[in-house]
Amino acid sequence: MRSLRTITLTVCAGVLALTLGACGSSSSSKSANSGIGVSQGIQTPATQALSGGKRGGTLNVLNHEDFEHIDPGSSYFSIDYEAVYATQRPLYSYKPNTFAAPSPDLAEGPPQISADGKTVTVHIRHGVHFSPPVNREVTSADVAYALDRGMNPNVANVYFEGYFASIEGVKGAKGGPIPGIRTPDKYTIVFHLTEPQGQLVADALVLPVSAPVPQEYAKKYDAKKPSEYGNYQVATGPYMFKANAEGKVLGVGYQPGKSATLVRNPNWNPSTDFRPAYLDQINIAIGGDTTVIGRQVLEGSHTVQNDPVAQAIVKLAYEKYRSQLEISPGAGDHYVAINNSKGPFTNVNLRKAYWAALDREAMDKARGGSLVTNVMTHFLYPEIPGFEQAGGLAGPKVDYNEHPQGDMAVAEKYMKLAGYPSGKYTGSKTLQVVGSTGNPAPENAQIADQALKNLGFKTKLNLVDQSVMYSKYCGVVSEAIDVCPNVGWVADFGDPEAVLNVPFNGKLIITNGTNSNWGLVNHPKINAAMEAATKIIGTSARAAAWAKIDDELVAEAVAVPYDWDKQANIEAKDVAGVGDLWDIGEWDYSFTSLK
Amino acid sequence: MSVGAAEVVPGAGGGLGFLDAGAEIAARSPLQLFWRRFRQDRVAMVSLGFIVFLIVLAIAAPLVVEALGLPSPYTQNPNLTDSFGSPLGPSAAHPFGVDQLGEDVMSRVIYGTRVSLEVGIIGTGIATIIGVVIGVLAGFYRGWVDTLLSRLIDVVLSIPILLLGLGIGAACAVRGCVKGAIQPGLGEILFLIAFANWCYVARIVRGLVLSLREREFVEASRALGASNTRIMFREILPNLVAPIIVYSSLLIPLNILLEASLSFLGVGIRPPTASWGQMIAAATPIFNTAWWYMTFPGIALLLTVLAFNLLGDGLQDALNPRTVR
Repeated sequence: MRSLRTITLTVCAGVLALTLGACGSSSSSKSANSGIGVSQGIQTPATQALSGGKRGGTLNVLNHEDFEHIDPGSSYFSIDYEAVYATQRPLYSYKPNTFAAPSPDLAEGPPQISADGKTVTVHIRHGVHFSPPVNREVTSADVAYALDRGMNPNVANVYFEGYFASIEGVKGAKGGPIPGIRTPDKYTIVFHLTEPQGQLVADALVLPVSAPVPQEYAKKYDAKKPSEYGNYQVATGPYMFKANAEGKVLGVGYQPGKSATLVRNPNWNPSTDFRPAYLDQINIAIGGDTTVIGRQVLEGSHTVQNDPVAQAIVKLAYEKYRSQLEISPGAGDHYVAINNSKGPFTNVNLRKAYWAALDREAMDKARGGSLVTNVMTHFLYPEIPGFEQAGGLAGPKVDYNEHPQGDMAVAEKYMKLAGYPSGKYTGSKTLQVVGSTGNPAPENAQIADQALKNLGFKTKLNLVDQSVMYSKYCGVVSEAIDVCPNVGWVADFGDPEAVLNVPFNGKLIITNGTNSNWGLVNHPKINAAMEAATKIIGTSARAAAWAKIDDELVAEAVAVPYDWDKQANIEAKDVAGVGDLWDIGEWDYSFTSLK
Repeated sequence: MSVGAAEVVPGAGGGLGFLDAGAEIAARSPLQLFWRRFRQDRVAMVSLGFIVFLIVLAIAAPLVVEALGLPSPYTQNPNLTDSFGSPLGPSAAHPFGVDQLGEDVMSRVIYGTRVSLEVGIIGTGIATIIGVVIGVLAGFYRGWVDTLLSRLIDVVLSIPILLLGLGIGAACAVRGCVKGAIQPGLGEILFLIAFANWCYVARIVRGLVLSLREREFVEASRALGASNTRIMFREILPNLVAPIIVYSSLLIPLNILLEASLSFLGVGIRPPTASWGQMIAAATPIFNTAWWYMTFPGIALLLTVLAFNLLGDGLQDALNPRTVR
């Protein structure tokens, strides 16, 4: 999964070793008519104008956080993506207002998937050139090399194997040519698969690892451990990191922990691209307190903030600077993972009782209220294909899902069905509850903990750093943590498999590494349905299949969902910001302009 | 502390009446002398009164909360936050306002007293006992015992306590450490305080014992056939009571602050247990919109630490009147 910039959202460290799916940041897209509420008068990526901006000027970006990786082969972070998608052109990418329909970017048209799902063919555009010092035209061999890098340990891509494992020769590849990726001519690339997973491979070509890399230039940097290509990268997008004549970016256009500068790519040809690229330059300042940054942006000029905006600033912006606030729906989800494989919650009725007892409205209020959250009622995202079939916003009509503020009467009913006639848990087990630190996760953890206590459980609540929570406890099978109230998921692309497969497929539980099926959900019927669904080709058929799986997940109450995130972002009054629906609303430098 | 001192009680008329013939001269015990000096220090007396109040408050916290008509510190009420999840401020029903979970801040401040005093008093007590024993052994036996223990003290003193706390907090976060002997939360804090502070006490005690062991009363005991254990703990130790009390009283506020710091950093007391440091930490991101959430536990922490510090100064003056300050 893509690591999230936010202090709250998901980290899915286990994707590396997974077969399919993935988590990531970002959002399901949510258009204005799909019912995910964004208050009147507040802009959303779905409604922003993508054209008509004023050309020229310099945008100042104030970021508390630094990039993780600026190399397109390893970037997997929403803040990285802002720069990477402005400077690189993957085969496909999303326009700012959608997460459902990728547009051909470096590719000339949609991917062609063979009837048996084992071959994917992509033709790339003519006339796309690398930035200096490479300068030459991009060919399919550059895309093939970029994808080869996905298995190069020096590049350390965390998702490549998860999505592209079905390509012939990926297993065991170390950065050299992958046999299943062939380039019959300069403008064609063909993927030969061992499994009928053409749809998944095609979907994953929106990820930045498919952005071309010139082998003759990058090879010497890729030979270093870790690869230094990011520090000497060349661009294909409208912008490039400022670099010296040799192409060196580090210390020129990127000072880690301090600043970054994007300038126009002189070799970019607008006729080959759908991006308008209004701005002349983007200056990114790194560091500082988010609350201070928030005030600087709201009261400043030609400035945006790309970090998670502090809760107090969101409130201030809503009350006093509403036109400068953007809310991006579908920016991930949060749920309470409950151990389906060990301990009391192996009993489905106990899981349903907990679902019924949890005050999900209070959980969402602690995250900032309805402005930035929606009560999550099932597991597929809004706008992800299958969402509506799976129940839409209201979710499946089951009694434990009907009262988001919690319903102790229903909870008591399921406690009795679980074998506790008093309606309270009377077993001896003390539940191990592990949450994460950093506002508002502790508040969510305490509400979830209190709901357990209301059901009669004895609990031990521990809060640890978010990365520790995933890597040491909730993501480690042998720890057998009973309840993880702060986990979440963000899809890498708009396909239901990317939302459901990894966190809920029992066959993908990793026992000797970091596992992302935090609730150890392992129900044979669901596993089998997922395995079948991964092989389906075609959006509507996949949507139907995964929606049914979503129903099963709710019927088994495999976890307690509570929050579909809506991300707040802010801009100065003289900025016509355009956020990316597919990147939790982060400002898109290629579409944003100055007023 | 002056041992065996005597003072002359002024006559009824005050002044220099005691010089008159027939004036009554009364000997006073060290305790009486201490109390006489201590009670003249008004600041220290007020501090003592405040600390006694805190102790009563901590013991009777449930009764106090109930008597004040406040909800339990663990009662969550999302209706007491606004539509953005921001907590509501002070009101008649919630004099100190509420936190993000709608929990009553006053109620939590009152319960937080328990944690601070437990940590301050119990943690310091454990550290003091360990430090006294090791300091007496090192000072009394000298030689290789002294060398070994002194080097051990040096090693422990060189460990940055806050970083150690963060490390222990991370390592013992969920399952505890040392086969569960050190549990996350209060147990972890007490361990850390004991581990970090005994050496200060030990070093002071060692120095005093090195001096005392050469005194005549020790020689006399030894001549009478007293064992080393008896000399250490029945002859020398009583002479150390004053400095130990003074130093311990000054350690208490430091330990209260240490707990608050660790809780602030997220490795101390775990929610839902109320702790002032943890409350201040939780309040930090929302200080702009909920000043009360940080202010009241902050004031409680400040007053408590100040009271213990002033009490320590008062004890120092009363127990060691020859100290020039």
